[in-house]
Amino acid sequence: MAKNLSGDLQVASANRLADGMVVFLDAAGQWTERLDRADIARNKQVADILLERARAESFTVVDPFLVAVIEDEEGRIEPLSLREKIRASGLTFAAIAAEAVRYA
Amino acid sequence: MPDAHFYSYDDFDRRLVAERVEQFRDQVRRRLAGELTEDQFKPLRLTNGLYLQLHAYMLRIAIPYGTLSSRQLRKLAEISRKYDRGYGHFTTRQNLQLHWIKLEQAPDAIAALAEVDMHSIQTSGNCVRNTTADHFAGAAADEIEDPRVWCEIVRQWSTLHPEFSFLPRKFKIAITGSPNDRAAVRVHDIGLRLWRNDRGEVGFEVIVGGGLGRTPMIGKTLREFLPKDEMLAYLEAALRVYNRYGRRDNLFKARIKILVHEIGVEKMREEVEAEYESMKDSALKLSPDTIEAIAQHFAPPPLRPKRTLVPEVEALKLEDRNFALWLKSNVAPHRVAGHAIVTASLKPAGAPPGDASAAQMEGVADIADAYSYSEIRVSHEQNLVLPHVAVEDLPAVYRALDKLGFAEANIGKITDIIACPGLDYCALANARSIPVAQRISNHFAALARQHDIGDLKIKISGCINACGHHHVGHIGILGVDKNGVELYQISLGGDVDFGHTALGTILGPAVPAEKVVEAVDALVTTYLEARAEGERFVDTYRRIGAQPFKDRVYATV
Repeated sequence: MAKNLSGDLQVASANRLADGMVVFLDAAGQWTERLDRADIARNKQVADILLERARAESFTVVDPFLVAVIEDEEGRIEPLSLREKIRASGLTFAAIAAEAVRYA
Repeated sequence: MPDAHFYSYDDFDRRLVAERVEQFRDQVRRRLAGELTEDQFKPLRLTNGLYLQLHAYMLRIAIPYGTLSSRQLRKLAEISRKYDRGYGHFTTRQNLQLHWIKLEQAPDAIAALAEVDMHSIQTSGNCVRNTTADHFAGAAADEIEDPRVWCEIVRQWSTLHPEFSFLPRKFKIAITGSPNDRAAVRVHDIGLRLWRNDRGEVGFEVIVGGGLGRTPMIGKTLREFLPKDEMLAYLEAALRVYNRYGRRDNLFKARIKILVHEIGVEKMREEVEAEYESMKDSALKLSPDTIEAIAQHFAPPPLRPKRTLVPEVEALKLEDRNFALWLKSNVAPHRVAGHAIVTASLKPAGAPPGDASAAQMEGVADIADAYSYSEIRVSHEQNLVLPHVAVEDLPAVYRALDKLGFAEANIGKITDIIACPGLDYCALANARSIPVAQRISNHFAALARQHDIGDLKIKISGCINACGHHHVGHIGILGVDKNGVELYQISLGGDVDFGHTALGTILGPAVPAEKVVEAVDALVTTYLEARAEGERFVDTYRRIGAQPFKDRVYATV
């Protein structure tokens, strides 16, 4: 079934300038690779502020933006869209390793 | 050491690339130091083929007309191991993409490319991109002339061409020298097809306005026969007309195909011919000496005719069924008796199409050194080709490729799937491509069944930009995003074969990701039940139409 992608909860994300890795803004204003440490905005007003903070902290990252997330009962968050899930979790298949000669 | 049998850089090329490396190194330093904003830096990195995708930077490396030496392939392996994650993705434009490059190391990666006369210039942006060619060029039995000579002339002309560095949109040229088009020339901005006229002269059919993407079009003939020495002036005239009249107000209507569609090919011809008239005797007219100087770089390797019937090969055919199938599907006729063209399949069962590890790249380089005059080609169908293999060496090449996992006897078969990187990597994609290709590949992995099904080209794109060429797949699969859910639109009847070039027709409503394999299976079953003697999938489709396929698919999914 189609999901509502408008999401009330949002985190700020970007790609790290030096290596392009996906990062999220934490509550201390640091960029982290861990989604579970991302600062969560719980309404639009806070989300706007979060994005402003992300832009203000963008010296080491590229083009911060907001990502809609959902939160389960235990406080775990997950992006709503498949695209952002893939950004947060990585490839959805196993890439071949440098020394591999057969694809497993 | 120059690479034998194809173009090697001269001092001018080396200086140009070396200067570009140092410019880019300084641009990266300034960006990392905060002296350049992303808006200022982005066009500079893209000019050097460095994209920022979902997870990381991606470096697109130009492989001119898909030709590589073993030395170059080893260097690509080394770069992928040192600066990336140890693998690379060969693309439908005969290039190589490294998907995990770090910006801070990108200048070193590009400097390493320059060590083997390679670069990533003009692999992005609104300029003339890498000119692609028949991957059997210089070896094919059906070839009239080696198209790479002309590709190299285009490469030299178009590299940093000041007038064509800011075209309305990107521009892709493909050239074939064979009547059997393996370069898909009718779906390029300009396609050039060498052919021999009634007087025995060889010249180009110039085809304009083809392309895939959101508005797929089959190219139209702009000039039936163009003398070879007029090629460059004529291209310049065509590009000039496009540069002048191509739309810059709408990104989606900026390709030359839209211009040709809007003004009509007759008007386009009139404009190009008028422009050409003013320059046909200019410095762009190619002198015999110029053509010969380039052609010398592509002198064929010193192959001597050999025996074509080799007892060891015949014995192994009887002994090893997979080898027999491999000979049928992965080995093509060579122009010199006793030789063959071998395609190494980068599509082993369940693998991401077109991916190769560093170890596999080095392995193919070793095989090329031992058995193919150190030459390798990249096909637009995302495989690697060993163009000059002696028939007597085929068993050894088969075993060596098998050790690498690249001896799958599936070239042209249902698991020889073209797929773009899709949503797993690409910032433009709407849906995944590779996992879909993997599932289809695993489902149809049995080689005997694949050979029973016969030639069937599946092409998968993760978005409407059509990097996976889905419009011209016998079965085309396009990933779409509908309210956050991946769906796949299936089209049938696409083809790039010369004389049969066609765009696929959408079968019906898109199917969910988990139903794609069942849908393809239903298509194949319909074909197997309906096919007449000797018919390929696409032939049966043309004869019986879409309805039986449609009925079966939508009854199944």
